[in-house]
Amino acid sequence: MSTLTYVIQLVQGGLGNLAAYLAAHVLLCLLPAFFIAGALSALIPREAVTRYLGRDAPKLISYPAAALGGFVLAVCSCTIMPLFAGIYKKGAGLGPAITFLFVGPAINILALTYTGVAIGMDIALARIILSVLFGIGIGLIMALTFSRDDASHAEETTGAFAGTASVSTGTKVFLLLLIALLIAGTLQVSVLTNDYARVMLPVAGFDRLQEALDQLVPFDPSQGEEGVSVQGAILIGLLAVIGISAWFGLNRVDEGYNRWTAISLSLIALTLFIASLRVTPSATALELRLTGKSLAVAAAMLGLLYVAVKYLDDYQTQEWLWESWRFVKQIFPLLIVGVFAVGVIRGWINPLWIQTLAGSNTVLANLVGVAFGVFMYFPTLVEVPIAKMFLSLGMHRGPLLAYLISDPELSLQSILITSSIIGRTKAWVYVAWVAVFSTLAGWLYGAWVDGMSVWMTAALLLAGFGGLLTILRWVSKRQRASASAETAESKRAEAV
Amino acid sequence: MEIKVLGIGCPKCKRLEQIAREAASEAGVEATFTKVTQIKDIMAYPITGTPALVIGERVVSSGRIPQKQEVITWLTEAMTVS
Repeated sequence: MSTLTYVIQLVQGGLGNLAAYLAAHVLLCLLPAFFIAGALSALIPREAVTRYLGRDAPKLISYPAAALGGFVLAVCSCTIMPLFAGIYKKGAGLGPAITFLFVGPAINILALTYTGVAIGMDIALARIILSVLFGIGIGLIMALTFSRDDASHAEETTGAFAGTASVSTGTKVFLLLLIALLIAGTLQVSVLTNDYARVMLPVAGFDRLQEALDQLVPFDPSQGEEGVSVQGAILIGLLAVIGISAWFGLNRVDEGYNRWTAISLSLIALTLFIASLRVTPSATALELRLTGKSLAVAAAMLGLLYVAVKYLDDYQTQEWLWESWRFVKQIFPLLIVGVFAVGVIRGWINPLWIQTLAGSNTVLANLVGVAFGVFMYFPTLVEVPIAKMFLSLGMHRGPLLAYLISDPELSLQSILITSSIIGRTKAWVYVAWVAVFSTLAGWLYGAWVDGMSVWMTAALLLAGFGGLLTILRWVSKRQRASASAETAESKRAEAV
Repeated sequence: MEIKVLGIGCPKCKRLEQIAREAASEAGVEATFTKVTQIKDIMAYPITGTPALVIGERVVSSGRIPQKQEVITWLTEAMTVS
C-alpha cells in the first residue's frame, strides 16, 4: 500500500467519523442541549441556588445544593471557578465548595446528553448518580480532613449569598419544554419511533446519491462504524447554512433581532424536524415518514415559541439565544476537529493494546482509565467521541466510566487554579481523592455491567462510604480533642 | 470615573466590557476601564458570579450581562452622586 492511499484512507476515516457523528447523533440531542445550556446560563439567576450555599446553611442542605447546583451553574467555566472560590471563602466552606467543583463538570447537560446518545443511557445515568454521590463524599472527606483550617479561615460574612431571587413560572415552563424537546428527540420508545403518516416526494435519483455517499464514506458495520445517509447529508448541509445565518443573526442578538435571526431560527426548527423524520430513498422517490418523534418535536417547538413570546420578555429571549450561540461557537469547532482527529487516529490504534490494558474490569484497568483522563486534556465534549472509540476498540465499560469521570474533572490547568484558591496541600489531596473515587466509580459500574446485582453494588457503595466517614470522624475528633488539650495546656502555662 | 470589569477572561466578560464601553461613550462619561482577572482580586468584591461590573468601587451587577441601557442609568447615577 502506497503512502498516498494510506493517507487518503486515514482522512476518509476522519471524514466518515465526522459525517456519521454530525448526521446521526449531534442534531436531535446536541442542538436542544445547547439551547438548554444557554437557558440555564441566561435565565436562571445565580441566587436561586447560591442562597442555599451560605455560611449558615445546614450541611443537609448545602451539600445536596452544591451537587445539584452544578447542573444549573456549572455550564460555563466563567461560573465554576469564581463560584467555587466564593463558596469556599464566603459561603458554606471547603466541603460544599469541593462538592460543587467535583459534580459540576460531571453533570454538565451537554456532556450528559452527548454521552447518553453516543455511548449509552446506562453510562450517562451511572455518571450522574456516581458523581453526585462521590462529589458529596469527597466534599465531606475534605471538610473533615481540613476541619481545623476550615474553622479558622475568614470569619467575615458578606451579603453575597443572601439574595432571594427566584425563577418565574414562565421560565420554568420554558426550561421544561426545552427538556421535553431533548427527550422527544433522543428517547427510543415505540410511541416515538412508530410511523404515523407517509409522504412520497417524487424526486428521482436519491438512490444514486446514497450509493455515492457510501462510496465517499466507506464504513464497516462490524467495527461499529456508521455511514452517511441521504438524510444525514441533507442535515449536514442544513447545519452549514445554519452556521452562516446564525453568525449574522445571533452574534449580536442581545442588541436586538434582525432578519437573519428569524432565518436562522426557522432553519434550526426545520433541521430538528427533518432530523426526526424517517427518510428512505428509492429509485423513483424519497419517502418521508412522520414518526411520533416528529410530532413530539414539532409540538415542543411550538410550545417554546408560545411561551417565549407570551411569558418571557424580549431581553430574556435575546440573552438566551446569545448564550446558546456562544456555547455553540465555543464548543462546536473544537468538537468537529476532535471528532475528525478521533476518526483518523482510530486507524492507528491496535485494538489489542486497549484490550490488554483495559479490556476487563480490574482495579488496574480502572486506574489506567483515570490516568489517561488526568494526563490527557481534551476540550469539552471531545472526551465523548474518544470514549466511544475506546469502547469500539474493546475497552470495558467500567474503565470507560472511570475515564469519563476523571477527564473533565482534572487537568493540569484546573489543578493549578484550584490550588491558587485553596492552597497546594488541599488541592493535591483533592486530586488524589478524585483519582481514588473515579477508579472506584468505574470499578463499581464495571462490576454492575458484569452482572453484580444493583443491591450488592449499592450495599458496597454505602458500606464503603459509611466506613470511610466513621474513620475520618474519629480521626478529626481526636485531632480536635488534642488541639483543645493543647490550648488548655498553653492557657494553663500562661496562667502560671 | 473608574469602571472595573471583573472576570477571568471568558467571552461573557469581553461582551460586558464592550457593552460598558459603548454605554460610557453614549452617556458621554469619561471613564477609565480596568479589567480584574485574578480570582484573588475578584473575590475581594462581594460577588458570587462573574462577569461583574463595578462603577466607582460599587458593584452594580454580577453573574450576568446587563443591558446597555441599564449601564447608562448606573453611570448617570454615579455621576450625580459624585
